[in-house]
Parts: sequence; C-alpha cells; structure tokens
Amino acid sequence: MKKLSKTTFILISAATLALVTGCASSGVKNPSGTGVTRLNADEQGFVAGTGIESQDLVAVADQMARSILAIPQIANAPTPPIVVLDPVENKTRFPINKDIFLTRIRAQLNSKTFGKVTFLARDRMAALEKERNLKREGAVTATTDPGMQEFKGADYFLTGSLEGMSTRTKAGTSDYILYAFQLIDARTSAIVWEDMAEMKKQGLEDAAYR
Amino acid sequence: MKALTPGRQDAKTPGAAAFAGLALWRRCALTVKATALAVVLVFVGCATTSTPSTALTGDILVDGPRMAAEGPARDRVLWQYRTAAAAMRQGKFAEARPLLDDALLTLQGIYGPDAEARKSRGLFQRESRKTFIGEPYERSMAYFYRGVLYWRDGELDNARACFRSAQFEDSDTADKTYAGDWVLPDYLEALATAKLGGDGTDALQRAQANVRNASLPPLNPAVNTLFIVEFGPGPVKYATGNYGEQLRFRTRPSSVKSARLSLNNLSIPIAPVDDVNFQATTRGGRVMDHILANQAVFKSATDSFGDAAIVSGAVLAGTGNRHSTANSVGLGLLAAGLVSKIVSSAASPEADVRMWDNLPQWLSFAQLTLPPGAHTATIQFLDAAGKPVEKLTKTVSFTVPAGGPDQVIFVSDTSTTPQTQ
Repeated sequence: MKKLSKTTFILISAATLALVTGCASSGVKNPSGTGVTRLNADEQGFVAGTGIESQDLVAVADQMARSILAIPQIANAPTPPIVVLDPVENKTRFPINKDIFLTRIRAQLNSKTFGKVTFLARDRMAALEKERNLKREGAVTATTDPGMQEFKGADYFLTGSLEGMSTRTKAGTSDYILYAFQLIDARTSAIVWEDMAEMKKQGLEDAAYR
Repeated sequence: MKALTPGRQDAKTPGAAAFAGLALWRRCALTVKATALAVVLVFVGCATTSTPSTALTGDILVDGPRMAAEGPARDRVLWQYRTAAAAMRQGKFAEARPLLDDALLTLQGIYGPDAEARKSRGLFQRESRKTFIGEPYERSMAYFYRGVLYWRDGELDNARACFRSAQFEDSDTADKTYAGDWVLPDYLEALATAKLGGDGTDALQRAQANVRNASLPPLNPAVNTLFIVEFGPGPVKYATGNYGEQLRFRTRPSSVKSARLSLNNLSIPIAPVDDVNFQATTRGGRVMDHILANQAVFKSATDSFGDAAIVSGAVLAGTGNRHSTANSVGLGLLAAGLVSKIVSSAASPEADVRMWDNLPQWLSFAQLTLPPGAHTATIQFLDAAGKPVEKLTKTVSFTVPAGGPDQVIFVSDTSTTPQTQ
C-alpha cells in the first residue's frame, strides 16, 4: 500500500484532532431526554431546593394526623368531634399552597380513622347553601324537612402556621422551617392539642451563580 | 524506503543549501495550513450546537413566551422575567403570574451540581452558557413582582413570603452595609404582617433605617388600596477589561424623578423609595469575577507566549540550515507558539451580560383607605422641577370591593393607558 505523504499525514492528524476537540465541546446533556421517573411523595428527588417540598408535606402531615388521633378529646369522644379547617398562615419566605397541609391531614384522618373525626366542608358553603335553598323552594327533592337548619357547627378548629428562619452567606443558603399545628376548642378557645415538626435544609449553588 | 523525488534529491545535495530558506517557508506554510484547517474544523464542529434562531416580532408579549418555549433553555428565565414585567405594565396580570412562578421555581432549585454552570466556569466556555437566573437585584425584582401579584390575589402571607425572599436575595453582598437594604419589600412585609394581625414592627424599622429621601407612613391595617409605582430606566450590564471579563453596570439618566397620584380630589406625592440601580451597583464582587479574572490572565499569558514563541521560532529557524539544531528548535517554538495562540483565542473569559432589560430604576408606593365602589386614579410622572413629563400620565380605573381583598394597582411610566385593574 502506498504510504501517506508527511503533508497528508499532518493534515489528517490535525483535522482529526480538531474534529474530536470541536465535538467534545458540543456535548449536550441528556440528548435523548430523561425518561419519566416515578418517585414516592416522601422521597427526595434529584430536583431539590431548600424550601418546602413534597417529602416535607408527607412527613409533617403524617406526624400530625397520628398525633391528633392520640389525644383523649378524639380517641375517647362518645361521638365523632366536628372539626373545621382554618387556613394555615405562611410566615416563611417561601410562597406555597399552604392549604395542602390541612388537606392532607384531613384526608389522612378521614381515610384511616373510619369516622372518628368529622370534618365540615366550610369551603363549599356557597354551593351547599344554594342546594339547600333549591330544596326550600321545592325546585329539587328533599329527604328531610328543608326548613330545618342542618348545617353543623364546629367543635374544634384545626389550624397551624409555617414559620421560617433563613441565612445566606458565601458558604450557602440555610432554611429552617417550623411547622406548628393546633386543635382549638371552638367553644372555649382552648388549644387542646398542638404538635410541631421542624426541618432544616442547606444548599450551595454553583460558583457561577455566586 | 521510498525513493526521493528529484526535487527532494536536489535538496539533499550540498549545493542546495541556498534553498534551505525556501524549504523552511514551505514547512511554515504547511503548519499554517494545518492550523487553519484545525481552526475551521473546530468552529464547524461547534456550529452544530447552535440553536435555530427564532425570528422576533418586537412585541415582547409575543416574543417572550415564544423564546421561553423555543429559545435556548439557558435563557428561559430571562425571557420569563422580561415578559412578566411587560405583561404587568399592560395590566395582563394573569399572564405574568405563571411566568414568574416558573422562573422562581428555577431560581429556587439551582442548588448543587449543575453541568451547564460547571462548563460556564471552564476556560473555553462563555459564562453566558449557564442557565440565567439573574444577578441578586434581578432575582429580588422577580420576587417583588410576584409578591405584588399575590397581594392582588388576596394572598397576603404568600405576598409577604415573596417580599422576604426579595430581601433575602440581597443578603450576601460583599459589603454588609448594603446587605438586605431594599426598603419597599421590608415595608410591604410589615404592612402585610400588620394586616394579618401580627407585629410588623421589626420589618418596619428595617425599612425606616434604609429609606433615603422619603418618609414611610406608619402601618395602618385599615388600608385597602395600594399603588405600586415604578419609573425610570433600570441598570444596564456591560463587560469591560481587556477581554470583557469584568461585569459592570451602567445607570441611565431618567427625566422622571417622582410621581403624583390624583384621586377623589386628593393629590398624593410619590417619592422614590427604592433605587434598582443602587441595588445593582452595591452588590460587590462575585465569585465568578475571580474565575473570569483568572481566565483573562490565562488568555493573556498564552497569547503573549504565542507571540514570543512565533517570533523567536521564526528567527531561530531562519538562521540555520535545514538540519541544524537551531532550525529544529525554531520550528518547535513556532509550532508551540501557534498552539499557544490557538489556545489563547479559544479561551473565553467574557462576563455574562444577559440582563433583565426592562426593569425600572425607581420603586415607590402610595396607600389609601377608600370607600367601596368604582374609582379612577391619575398618575403623573414628574421631572426634577416637579412638572409632569409629557405623555407619561396614566389613568387607571378600579373597584374597591366591599369587605373584600385589598385593591393593588400597579403603575409604571411605561404602562399602557388607560387601564382597568
């Protein structure tokens, strides 16, 4: 076989090297995309911040639901106590859908306790009143006397607050969040139960962002 | 071994010494050809990574969402910022909300290893290849705007969370004198806390300590109407230094110095409370600035070495005959110099000057307790002499609900007018 001339060899070598070098810088991360990864809600995924996340919600709501069930006012009540959810106040630096905490606690209690606690759907009052008025007007059927007041009042209010403390330095960002929930006696205003959970997270962004 | 060609045989003969110089230039030409080919191929290789350009219409509300969706992923937050600000100025708050929410999600999840950010720190990659989240003043403004939107929606605690985060983004300045020195986020945090039944004194005191050339009203939970007013052009980023490795900010002069709100026979002066230019220019050095400075030193050193090596290599190679040691060393130096020049030209220490270019310079506010019902407000933007600047007067109609959430009116000197909010 005919040998390559020196010139051709140098040119081919340079071209190969340049192509390899050029292509090395053109790497695209996950060029084929990343398949959908299903995670449990209490797992920390590969996308995480220092704020309030699903794993925190699950851990806190589970802890609160178990804690509420253990108190005598619920465990030993002759009839299921009637509870109304009062919106949680977010005092952290993270804007969130704060109602999600109470929604999960309510769902947990309703699904696991089989009627030991009764929650009132106060957030649906407009629709409920409309339905009741239709019954009173005779526009729709009623199984009981529609003139009677059957909307129930609350024995307890379940509410809470999310409070935070944050630090940011060259070493990173640190966020501490205190989740506190209370069950308040609607008649006496006494706090009959309170529990809390706390979490601290730290993170440091790439130097390119500092 | 292959027989030498007649030409090469000639070069081997003792009488061919006179042609040594010619042979040297042939070799140089060959090296230059190889280098040029390599450079072309490098660029051709890299060209395959470019994203197809998206034609811009000039309408930010059309271009912004399109660029956020179809443009480079690294610029998505930038377009979301710009589009959200523009949408708010046109009274399209529902359009601004999801854009800011998505941008803030990116901002909040930026911790830990990031391949693009790591590459942007590399010698041969521009800083601007990292995902844009903005400098601290830009991040603060994103939270501030989102806070205003939350307040408009009656979510005072989430609005307060955003104002806290706005201040938080400003908390790691190089000079701690300027850490967390935004005024309006602190004042609005205090007001929101007071309206929620809490004690906003701490935040109010922080706001009062930082405010200059304006006085802040005492907290009044009965306030039911807020005017958030912004005016003047915001800061401009530019790169300076020998290789554009230093990020700097330019402030642009503004004819508007204050504003005046007229409503129901009331005339309320609105003095500037926060200066975005001041926030941009008092952050101090970034960690990235040190990285870019080192890259600039590398670029400069390899460039200088390349120059020296090429010149001395050419001189050395030209002095001896083809097979002399001086000739070989000279050629080696010449090649090393060329490689060094290529490496130098490939180094990219340029600072990232992508910027949220429709930010205002000044932020201010007015608060009122208005009776329920329809109202129309006029906002004039005033020059240094206190005279209204022509064509900048805005009219906003709004309704204060009876016992409902607060009415939050957002007005910019670049807002469309008239508006109903």
